[in-house]
Amino acid sequence: MRQRKLEIYSVEHHAATDIKKKEGRDGKKDNDLELKRNQQKEELKKELDLDDHKLSNKELETKYGTDIIRGLSSTRAAELLAQNGPNALTPPKQTPEIIKFLKQMVGGFSILLWVGAVLCWIAFGIQYVSNPSASLDSVYLGTVLAVVVILTGIFAYYQEAKSTNIMASFCKMIPQQAVVIRDSEKKVIPAEQLVVGDIVEIKGGDQIPADIRLLSAQGCKVDNSSLTGESEPQSRSSEFTHENPLETKNITFYSTTCLEASTSPVGTATGMVINTGDRTIIGRIASLASGVGNEKTPIAIEIEHFVHIVAGVAVSVGILFFIIAVCMKYHVLDAIIFLIAIIVANVPEGLLATVTVALSLTAKRMAKKNCLVKNLEAVETLGSTSIICSDKTGTLTQNRMTVAHLWFDNQIFVADTSEDNLNQGFDQSSGTWTSLSKIIALCNRAEFKPGQESVPIMKRVVVGDASETALLKFSEVILGDVMEIRKRNHKVVEIPFNSTNKFQLSIHQTEDPNDKRFLLVMKGAPERILEKCSTIMINGKEQPLDKSMAQAFHTAYMELGGLGERVLGFCHFYLPADEFPETYSFDSESMNFPTSNLCFVGLLSMIDPPRSTVPDAVTKCRSAGIKVIMVTGDHPITAKAIAKSVGIISANSETVEDIAKRCNIAVEQVNKRDAKAAVVTGMELKDMSPEQLDELLANYPEIVFARTSPQQKLIIVEGCQRQDAVVAVTGDGVNDSPALKKADIGVAMGITGSDAAKNAADMILLDDNFSSIVTGVEEGRLIFDNLKKTIAYTLTKNIAELCPFLIYIILGLPLPIGTITLLFIDLGTDIIPSIALAYEKAESDIMNRKPRHKKKDRLVNQQLAVYSYLHIGLMQALGAFLVYFTVYAQQGFRPTSLFHLRIAWDSDHLNDLEDNYGQEWTSYQRQYLEWTGYTAFFVGIMVQQIADLIIRKTRKNSIFKQGLFRNKVIWVGIASQIIVALLLSYGLGSITALNFTMLKAQYWFVAVPHAILIWVYDEMRKLFIRLYPGSWWDKNMYY
Amino acid sequence: MTKKEKKSFNQSLAEWKRFIYNPTSGEFLGRTAKSWGLILLFYLVFYGFLAALFTFTMWVMLQTLNDEVPKYRDQIPSPGLMVFPKPLSALEYTFSASDPSSYRGYIEDLRKFLKPYTLEEQKNLTVCPDGILSEQKGPVYVACQFPIFLLQACSGMSDPDFGYSQGSPCVLVKMNRIIGLKPEGTPRIECIPKDENVASISTYPNNGIIDLKYFPYYGKKLHVGYLQPLVAAQVIFSANSTKKEVTVECKIDGSPNLKNQDDRDKFLGRVAFKIIARA
Repeated sequence: MRQRKLEIYSVEHHAATDIKKKEGRDGKKDNDLELKRNQQKEELKKELDLDDHKLSNKELETKYGTDIIRGLSSTRAAELLAQNGPNALTPPKQTPEIIKFLKQMVGGFSILLWVGAVLCWIAFGIQYVSNPSASLDSVYLGTVLAVVVILTGIFAYYQEAKSTNIMASFCKMIPQQAVVIRDSEKKVIPAEQLVVGDIVEIKGGDQIPADIRLLSAQGCKVDNSSLTGESEPQSRSSEFTHENPLETKNITFYSTTCLEASTSPVGTATGMVINTGDRTIIGRIASLASGVGNEKTPIAIEIEHFVHIVAGVAVSVGILFFIIAVCMKYHVLDAIIFLIAIIVANVPEGLLATVTVALSLTAKRMAKKNCLVKNLEAVETLGSTSIICSDKTGTLTQNRMTVAHLWFDNQIFVADTSEDNLNQGFDQSSGTWTSLSKIIALCNRAEFKPGQESVPIMKRVVVGDASETALLKFSEVILGDVMEIRKRNHKVVEIPFNSTNKFQLSIHQTEDPNDKRFLLVMKGAPERILEKCSTIMINGKEQPLDKSMAQAFHTAYMELGGLGERVLGFCHFYLPADEFPETYSFDSESMNFPTSNLCFVGLLSMIDPPRSTVPDAVTKCRSAGIKVIMVTGDHPITAKAIAKSVGIISANSETVEDIAKRCNIAVEQVNKRDAKAAVVTGMELKDMSPEQLDELLANYPEIVFARTSPQQKLIIVEGCQRQDAVVAVTGDGVNDSPALKKADIGVAMGITGSDAAKNAADMILLDDNFSSIVTGVEEGRLIFDNLKKTIAYTLTKNIAELCPFLIYIILGLPLPIGTITLLFIDLGTDIIPSIALAYEKAESDIMNRKPRHKKKDRLVNQQLAVYSYLHIGLMQALGAFLVYFTVYAQQGFRPTSLFHLRIAWDSDHLNDLEDNYGQEWTSYQRQYLEWTGYTAFFVGIMVQQIADLIIRKTRKNSIFKQGLFRNKVIWVGIASQIIVALLLSYGLGSITALNFTMLKAQYWFVAVPHAILIWVYDEMRKLFIRLYPGSWWDKNMYY
Repeated sequence: MTKKEKKSFNQSLAEWKRFIYNPTSGEFLGRTAKSWGLILLFYLVFYGFLAALFTFTMWVMLQTLNDEVPKYRDQIPSPGLMVFPKPLSALEYTFSASDPSSYRGYIEDLRKFLKPYTLEEQKNLTVCPDGILSEQKGPVYVACQFPIFLLQACSGMSDPDFGYSQGSPCVLVKMNRIIGLKPEGTPRIECIPKDENVASISTYPNNGIIDLKYFPYYGKKLHVGYLQPLVAAQVIFSANSTKKEVTVECKIDGSPNLKNQDDRDKFLGRVAFKIIARA
C-alpha cells in the first residue's frame, strides 16, 4: 500500500509522496477504514495509469474501439453507456430521511425520556396486575412523555429538513449538452450520455463534458482554475508534451472550461472521451472528498457535553433518591415513579428544540447577509473558528485578470483594480499615454459579445483570453468605444500571439485622413519587445534607447514581476509612407514589413486583483483573533503578492527569504524567529514531516501555501486541526472540495463555486464575498453567547422543579408540583422566552476577542451550572415554596402540619383528614387543594422565570446598560409566559387531567419579592465581576 | 483500536487521580484548600442569608393568618361523609359474630371515639334548643350537648358490643366539620343497602336526623368541646338470607345546600361501605 501512488491528484509530479504519508497516518488511525480505503484505492490505481496522452491516434482508436472520423456507432455507445453508467458524478450519499428522523427521536434527552415513559408503563402494568382499578396517572404520564419526545423530534426534524431543502434547490445542476460524432453524424446529445471513445467537438466557452484526449485543436485554451487553482488560461493542443497527464497539453478535463478554440473562422477542437463520470479526475477528487469523514461540529460537541452533564445529574440524583426512597421503606413502584419524576424534572425537554430554533433563526439572519448555511449546526462553527484557510483564486481575488500597473515615461502608474474599475486616476496627459492607449486598443483580438451596451463594462462578456479581455475592458473604460476606434483604424494585417514568437502584431490605417502612414502596433513578452526596439518614447517624444533607459526598463519590469503580475511590453512604429504606400499588400506569412528598430512605448502589468472588501475583512478576522492562511495552487510569487495586498501578510512582516535578501545573507543564516511570515510551496510541504508542519503552523502568524495539491490542502487542514484549532476552509474549485469537507466548516463560493465544492461545503457565500465570512463569525459568536444564556435560563428552573420531589420523598409534604405540570413549564411558559434570548444583542464587541478555545471555553461550564443550579435555581425553589406554603396555610394547613403528612394526605380512604382549624377534608378536596398547590408552585416558578429571563440578557453588563427594551422579543416572551400561565389556570382550570386550578389573584404576586431579589442579586454579581475582573468572584461567578 | 482505548482509559484514570488530589498544586477535587475554604465560606454566608430570608418571608406569611379561622374556606364548600370505625383498608368491615377477636378492634375504636360523647364528659356543654342553628357572637363559644342515648342501640350503653356479637354491626356516620357551615332545611342521613333482601338498615337518631343546633362550627380553637353530630347505622341481615354481605350507601338528604352528588368526589355528602359478616 505504501507504494501506491496517486499522483493524479497532484499538480506536482512527485506529490504522491505526501499522499503516502497521509495514508500512513490514516492507516494507524483506523484499521477498518483503511481496509475499505485500500479497496477503493486499489480500484483507483488501476485507472490511474493514464497513458492516453502518450498514445498516437491510431493506438487510441484500437484501445477504445472507435473511429476518429466516424465516431462510435449508436449501438456500441448504448452498450457502453449501459456498461459504465451515465457520464455524471454520483451525488454524495444522502442519509435516508427515515434514519434522520429516527436520529431525532433518540438523540439528546430523548432516550432518557423514552426510558421514563417505558418505566411508567411498566409501573402501571405491575400496579394493574395487583389491582385492576389502579389509577391511570402513570399511563398518562408515560404517554405524555412519549408524545413530548415524538413532538420535539418531529419539530427538530422539520427544522433540519427546512434548511436542507433550501440547499437542494440551490444545488440543481443545469443539464449540459455535448456535440458528438456518432455513426459519422454530428449529434447534440446530453453530456450525461457520453461514453468512452466518443468523439466530441468543443467550442470556446463550452464546459468540457468529460476527460478528453484532444485529437486536433488550434489555439485552444482552457481554464483549469477549478481544478488546480491556476488563474491563467492554459493552452491545449493535440501534442503530447508532458509525462504527467495533468500537465500535458493534449488532455482536457471534465468540468473545466474551454476559453477559446481555434482561430477564425470559428472552428472547433475535437477530442476523444477517455474517462466519464466518477472515473474522471474531477470525479475522483469528488470521491476523495466524500471519503473524508465528516467531523462533528463544535456546537454539536458542546450540546453533547451539555446533554451528558444534565443527563448525568438527572440519572445520578434519580438513582440516589431511588435508593433513599427504597431505604425509607417506600414501595418499589413508588420509588420508580419518583425516579421518573426526578428525571422529568431534571431534563429540559424543550431546550433542544429551542436550540434548533435559535440556530435556524441565526441561519436565516445569515442567509439574509448572503451566508447560506447547509447544516444548521454549522451556524456556530464560524464563531469558534480560529484559523481560516482561504483559497486565493475567486475567493480572495476577483478571478479575472485586470490591469494593475503601467510603466511609461520612466514612471510606474497604478491602475484601479477594484471591481468596477471606473476610477482610473493616473496621469493621462502625456503623449506617451496617447500612443500606449492606442496600441492597447488596437493590438487586441478580444471583442465584446454584441448586445451588451446596457451592461456595465466590467460585467460584459468577452470573447478572448483573460489578458486580452483585461486590456479590452481597460481601454474601453478609459477611451470609450474601442470597437469604434478599431473601425476607424482599419486593420490590414495581423500576426496572432504564439509561443515561439511571444508577441502579437497588427498593422492599421490611421484614423487621421491626412496621415497616410500605416501604424504597426505590437505587444508581447517585455524582453522580446525591447529587443525589437531601438527608441523609446518619453513624454510623447521618441528618444534613442540607451543603456540607462534599458536599465530603467529592467528595474520596472522586475518590480512589476515581483508583484506577481503578468507584464506585457508595448511598442509601435509608423511605417514610412514612401516605402509602404496605401496600396501596399502586407503578408503575415512572409512578414514583408519591419519588425525591428521599433519604438518602445511602455509596460503594462496585469493581475487577478483582490476583491476590494477582502483587506478589510482580513483585518477584522485578525482583530477577532483568527489566523488567515492562504492555500492556493497558484505560483508563490503571485500568491505572496496577493497575500500582501489583502493583508494576509501584513505590510511590515517579512519572510525568511525577505530578511535574507535585505541583509544580504544566506537563507540558512537567518534566525527563523525573526520572520513573522512564511511562504511555503507544495514542493517544500511534501518534504515536511507532520511535526515540522505543526511547528510551521504554530510559529508563523502569517502563512501562505502555494502550488499545493488538493491532497496537500487536506494535510494543511489536518495540521491546523492538530493545533486544536477550529478550521474554516474557503474555496470554490473542485480541488478545494476534499479540504472543504475535512474542515470544521467548509465555505464555498456561491457564484463561482463548482458544484463539487458546494456539495462538500457546510456554508455557501452567495455573493462570493469573503467579508461575508466576517458576518458569519460575528453571528456565530453571538449565537454561542446567546445559547449560553438560553441554557442558563432553562437550567435554572430545574432545581425549582426538582426540589419538590426531593422534599416530598424526604419530608413527606403533600406533593408541591406534579410531573405533568412541570412539562407545562418546560414546554409551555419557557419556550418563547428561551428563544427570545437568541435575539439578544452582543454585550460587548465580540469581534475584538479571541476565538473560544475548543476544549476550555465550553458552552456549559461549571460556573454556569453552579450559578444556575445552586444560586438562582435555589432562590427560585424557595420562592415557589413560599407560594405553595401560602396556599396551604391560608386554606387551613399550616406549614408545620404538612411535614410527614404524605401518607395520610395521599390515602384515598381517608376522607376526614383534619386541618389545623378542626375542619375535615375528603380525599378529593385534598386532591383539589394539591392541584391548587401545583398551580401556585407553577405560578411561583413562572414569575421568577420572568426575573431569570431578564437577568440572563447579559452575563457581565448591567441590564440597564444593555437596555431593558432593546430586545423586544424578550417582552413577547414575558407576555407569552404570563398569557400561557393565565390560560392554564383560568382557561383550562376545569380540565382534571391537566391538574390546574383557578388560582386566586393575589397568589400570583407572592413570589414577586423573590423575583426582585433574583434580579438584585444578579446585578450585584455582575457589578462585582465588572469591578474586580480576574478576582475570585469573577472566576467563580462568570459563566 | 483496543490498544488506543486502553491507553485512554489509563490516561483518564490518571486524570481522575490528579483531579481528586493534585500533589503539585495541592488541589483537592480541583480546588486548593484556600479555594475550598473560600467557597465554603461563601456558601455558608449565602445559604445562611437565603435561609434567613425564607424564614422571614414565611413569618410574614404566617402573620397574615388568623388563629381561629382559616383565611379561605372556598375549597370545602360542602362536607364529606365518613364512617367510623375506620377499617384497615378500603371501607370494608369484615367480622364474624362468633369470633369476638374479629371485631374487638372496631368496638375499641368506637368506645374511644364515643368517649367525649358520654354524659359525664358533656355535662359542661350547653343544652341547645332543637331544630335551630346555634349561631353565636363570641367571644366565648359554647358547644351543644349530643346525648349519646340518641344513638339508641348503637350507643354502646345497652349493647357494649355495638351489635357486632349479634351479627348486626353498628357503623357511625359523621359529616365532616366545616367552619361556618349552616345547613339548610332538615338534614338527615339516609342509609340504603344495595340489596334490600339481604339486609335492612336502622338509623339512629330516628330517621338519621342531624339537628341544626350543632351548626355552625366555629373552629377548633374557639369552639372548645364541640361535639360533632353523629348518626349510627345498624345493619340487620335478614334472617332468611344466606348471603351475609351487603354494601350500604349513606347520603345526606333534606338539605338543599349540602351536596350529595359529585362525579369526582365519591365522599361528598355520601359514603358507601361494605359489611361482610362471616359465620
